Amino acid sequence: MDPTVMQAGFDLLGDGRPETLWLGIGTILMLIGTFYFIAKGWGVTDEEAREYYAITILVPGIATAAYLSMFFGIGLTEVEVAGRGTLDIYYARYADWLFTTPLLLLDLALLAKVDRVTIGTLIGVDALMIVTGLIGALSQTMLARYSWWLVSTIAFIFVLYYLLTSLRSAAKRRSAEVQSTFNTLTVITAVLWTAYPILWIIGTEGAGVVGLGLETLGFMVLDVTAKVGFGFVLLSSRAILPDSDAPEPSAGETATAD
Amino acid sequence: MSDTPETEVAVLNVRSAVGIGVSFVIAAGALFALPTLQNTGLGFNTAFWLVSAVELVTALAIAYFVLNLHETRG
Repeated sequence: MDPTVMQAGFDLLGDGRPETLWLGIGTILMLIGTFYFIAKGWGVTDEEAREYYAITILVPGIATAAYLSMFFGIGLTEVEVAGRGTLDIYYARYADWLFTTPLLLLDLALLAKVDRVTIGTLIGVDALMIVTGLIGALSQTMLARYSWWLVSTIAFIFVLYYLLTSLRSAAKRRSAEVQSTFNTLTVITAVLWTAYPILWIIGTEGAGVVGLGLETLGFMVLDVTAKVGFGFVLLSSRAILPDSDAPEPSAGETATAD
Repeated sequence: MSDTPETEVAVLNVRSAVGIGVSFVIAAGALFALPTLQNTGLGFNTAFWLVSAVELVTALAIAYFVLNLHETRG
């Protein structure tokens, strides 16, 4: 088999890291997403829409910086793990998540129009999820790594619980347009975020079933979809516009409008 | 003086807008700062947790600034 295929990537920088192909593609896609959102939001004057744009532009913006630092090997370190040898850990990924996941949740919270205490609780549990994942990534025994992964996954289940209960019931009090967008974004978030701990546990930082190249590709696809895809759905929706809470037209009115 | 009742208008809070920009620049810079921090004598773990703290704090700051991006003036 072609060694390039086996490595699942291509060493773009000639430093022995075939995953640089995926990190380079990730950098470009995040950059495109950032500029697309900036262009789309240019001249937007509505105060609510501005808030969504501010958050949604910053998410792929910081991810671009994180992917660039990983591409050049700045966001990479080695961790000695008992029984597994030396693992390459892209720590910039976790730093990126510490910044981006609270903001993605803030987008959902603004859409559902929940109070600031709920927003604070949601972001707090989210931060716990990422920080415990970080401790796991830097742990030097597999038992510790799996234990922290479990703690992080439990925190993630709480985040999902909040999304599907508190935020969802708040969103139900808003217009059909908002409800529909909120439901779509919640499904995107729930499905994609569930894939992260699965990829982690089968990847090089966990059981090692999947190699670093494939793992990096997987995280890149998840990151781009969860950030740029999420932003695209949100910013393309009328739910961010001020009149989105207006009463829904009747079927007859809708037909006339069409 | 006009007898027309004053209406409340939401205007951009410049301080919040600047805060968002500054927080973003700090967060982006922190992603590249770890080697520099290590060169100053910090161990990897200390430097790494410092960078992580910066990312989280800047995200929280941005959340705060976004929630206060506009102020109403009568």
